[in-house]
Amino acid sequence: MPEVIEKFYSLKELWKKLPKLPVDRKYLAGGTDLIVGYNLGISSNECYLDISDIRELNLVRENKKQVFIGAGVKLAELGKNSLIKRWVPALYDCVPHFASSSLRNMATLGGNLANASPSADGVCALAASRAWVLLNLYGKRESKPVLSVLKGPKKNALKKDQIIEGFIVPKKRHKAVFLKLISRAKFGIGKVGICVCADIEKKFVKDINVVLSSVAPTVFEAKKTSSILKYSYLTAKIVEKASETIRTEVSPISDIRSAQDYRREMCGVLLERALRYIA
Amino acid sequence: MKIEMKKTPFSFVGKSVRRVDALDKAAGISKYGSDLSFPNMLYACAFRSLKPRIKIKNLSDEKAKKIRGYVGLITCKDIRGKNRWPLVMEDYPFLPERESRFAGETIALVLAKDRKAAKKAASMLKLEHEELPFVDDPLKSMEKGSVKIFGRNNVFSKYVIKKGEALKSLERCKYKIKGEFETNYQVHSYLETQVATAVPASDGSMTIYSSTQCPFYVLDAVCAVTGLSNHRVKVIQTVTGGGFGGKEDMPALVAAHAAICAQKTGKPVRLSYERKEDFMSMSKRHPSYSSVMYGADESGRIRACVIKYVLDSGAYSTLSPIVLWRGSVHAAGPYDIENVLIETYAVATNKVPCGAFRGFGQPQICFAQESLIDDLADKIGMDPVEFRLKNIIRKGSRTVTGQKIDESCGLSEIVNIVRKKSAWDRFGVKREGEKIIALGFANTYYGVGLGAKGRFLDRAGAYINIYKDGSVSVNVGNTEMGQGALTVLTQICAETLNCPLENVHIHEVDTSKVPDSGPTVASRTTIMSGNAIMEAARPLRERIFKTAMEILGSDKVSASGGFFFVGKKRISFAQVVKECWARRLKMSEQGWYTAPKTSFSEKNGKGDSYVVYSYSANAALVEIDIKTFEMKIRKVFAAYDVGKLINPRLALAQAHGGILQGAGWALFENLVYKDGIMLNPGFADYALATSADMPEYAVSFVEKEYTDGPYNAKGIGELPLIAVAPAVRNAVKNALGLRLNKIPMLPENVWSMSKNKKCFCREN
Repeated sequence: MPEVIEKFYSLKELWKKLPKLPVDRKYLAGGTDLIVGYNLGISSNECYLDISDIRELNLVRENKKQVFIGAGVKLAELGKNSLIKRWVPALYDCVPHFASSSLRNMATLGGNLANASPSADGVCALAASRAWVLLNLYGKRESKPVLSVLKGPKKNALKKDQIIEGFIVPKKRHKAVFLKLISRAKFGIGKVGICVCADIEKKFVKDINVVLSSVAPTVFEAKKTSSILKYSYLTAKIVEKASETIRTEVSPISDIRSAQDYRREMCGVLLERALRYIA
Repeated sequence: MKIEMKKTPFSFVGKSVRRVDALDKAAGISKYGSDLSFPNMLYACAFRSLKPRIKIKNLSDEKAKKIRGYVGLITCKDIRGKNRWPLVMEDYPFLPERESRFAGETIALVLAKDRKAAKKAASMLKLEHEELPFVDDPLKSMEKGSVKIFGRNNVFSKYVIKKGEALKSLERCKYKIKGEFETNYQVHSYLETQVATAVPASDGSMTIYSSTQCPFYVLDAVCAVTGLSNHRVKVIQTVTGGGFGGKEDMPALVAAHAAICAQKTGKPVRLSYERKEDFMSMSKRHPSYSSVMYGADESGRIRACVIKYVLDSGAYSTLSPIVLWRGSVHAAGPYDIENVLIETYAVATNKVPCGAFRGFGQPQICFAQESLIDDLADKIGMDPVEFRLKNIIRKGSRTVTGQKIDESCGLSEIVNIVRKKSAWDRFGVKREGEKIIALGFANTYYGVGLGAKGRFLDRAGAYINIYKDGSVSVNVGNTEMGQGALTVLTQICAETLNCPLENVHIHEVDTSKVPDSGPTVASRTTIMSGNAIMEAARPLRERIFKTAMEILGSDKVSASGGFFFVGKKRISFAQVVKECWARRLKMSEQGWYTAPKTSFSEKNGKGDSYVVYSYSANAALVEIDIKTFEMKIRKVFAAYDVGKLINPRLALAQAHGGILQGAGWALFENLVYKDGIMLNPGFADYALATSADMPEYAVSFVEKEYTDGPYNAKGIGELPLIAVAPAVRNAVKNALGLRLNKIPMLPENVWSMSKNKKCFCREN
């Protein structure tokens, strides 16, 4: 572990002390990626800034139009939250698939986005929910679509010391389903993950957003597939067409977890299943 | 007066008593290797090669010297003894002198005052090296023009077992079948990684605290590397957090490294591995390649079997010759076959050395032969279970090495039990939406103990000391590593002496307290240490019983649960012991047990391989998703003949654990190498079975008594894992018609096969 671990309880305190801290630093929230990386020798830093107890990052609140999810709220808490269940069903559905219960007790959505893994389950659910991320750098805030923060595998577009404060999800009633394939029954990094958020009435798709994980350099929004399904009736033919499209739209690779062709094929299989469950 | 050992009923044997170490482990009281601390202790960190094969030119610690707490660099030049690990072929240097042969091999050790400083200093060493050509494929390694890393042909060892005229007989068979099979690594995944602490004394002697299955292997290695004689090194086994074979030979290397450091500095030195380095450098289950042919006549009798079996041994031989031998003598399966030709090879590659793992060379070849047995039954048009029953070994049968099975063989009974319990004859194949469910069958046998190849190590000692207060102290040479040995041996001791279970304390193994009892492997502990305890306990029992009779005034006494009875009069074990001491009787004894002789000869591949065999039959109920080809084992019906069960609950736990470990190996444990580099050395990307993958278990036991076993027990530890993979594979075959000949059976591979071959579903 690094020589220095500095803990903060508010953003104000963080911004105040930051200039005096070592430059080679990383932000520690749940630590479920950071510590694994450290143990594997992938990452080593002089200083960790522990932001797990910063109060501004640990809130879930709502107003008339939006739900705000603090970047530091533990996944396990999100899985029990009634606001999340009602307004962000994709995330609610995703939580049981997210790693293991012990990791969910530590892991955060902010960390999930910052880690920029192509297989990030939480990011997949947030993107499907059309969430925006709220960023903060020395008190200066900006918000942008979640996926715009991702630049490639393990690469994000955050500026140095820019904090992910939370996520803003528009309040719009819809259904959602999250599915993923892993190598064992539970507790695994996805080979393919899919999250579908949709407003469907009597098989007519009024709105839909299909997002995938583990099949592109970053979590990936399947816009072509969504556009085929939107304003269509979910007939066998349209589902088949969407399923064919999604196979061509993704760009999976072969790696230690799975094979390119299999992943591509499974995108179609999972989409068909997701549509069946959601319709 | 002769005191007879009672047959039945028993007070403790055959009872599911609570594990004697359960409370300490559950409450966190047990001290593991990393919990120990000594004054002025230094910490060692291994500096490892990251290339498959290199010539070592120079190693500099100039930058490391700037690290606060850095103490020094230890290389092969600091070895005062012999730089050759005394293990089977002695080809593994404790620290390489000129050449490192696999990515992960320890080249040197860094010492510091704390672990963090040691790790940081190790990362700052500068190695000058030259990359050398390497070989990472065992089949290519055997080719003439390949890079040579061992001898003239890269073959560590080879065995030929020949019985009858296999090739000619195969030609004559009406039904012939051939299959090629491949299996991958398996990682032991013990909870506690490798750890050892070497504590030097002022007189130059040394005490080693080691997490190990085999303290005497550690003793041999430490004595070799330090040049100290056996009596100046003491090895104490610390509470060991899992082994599965991974702590058979490897702890000796880890302890030897700690010992080199301790000898040089004169201070205690701890060497503990992080998970990644444990993955990269410690032994694994061998990957295998096999070609199997069976031939049967028109009646369904197997007439011939021809096998070629290759193990990828990695850079050094370690235990490969012995692992290969066990695989060789079991290669044709538990069948009575007149004509057999088995050729086996352990081959060198520039990858992590492979060694012992639950099953010890059997699971790989069992996967191949039990898969092909099913395929042959299909070809003949016979039911696979019926086909097996027609051909399996029974009492009076002979194995491939010509060994006559003359006692304790319950294979046909357990096959029939599993057949009945799984409803094999009715089940067929079922469809539930996008899922297909089918049963698959496999059976196997397991030679208990070290067998002929390890006959010189097949002995064990025990020392029993009964104190004045009736408490009993026992020293044995075999270890507890989580399998329940302490509990089973406690039961055997308590039963034999008729003392209360809680009066018996079996100490952690200390090599200075008990003779070399060989390794704790091969499911041998119950038989070996159990018999050694009984040997030590017998004369004590005579004295205790005689004294009890005299106290109770009768020449006949009954004994049960720590009490002696004559009519309504009773006296406790402690009271009798007190009287024994008052009479100045000897209340301590040593026991020594040597396994019966085995006659197998490597020259002609004939003779008795093992003293006795345990047997298993398995039916796996497997669910397959016909779109994603994900597989789930819903239920495993298993039956075992392991002789008398000393502790039924622990036997059941071994069955459950073995089945799940076998299922993980079969379905998803997938260690990936590319160009001699391990790509997934950690649990984030190496998927291990979890409790969520646990199938429903339906386990039965048949207790075929083994005359020479303690209370007629045989051994169980490894058996339950062995035939799980072929049972799963045969279920998939029955469901889809796809013959998966590669482990792990990944959905990707099944999907790929389903595209290329016609996939069918035999629905009811």
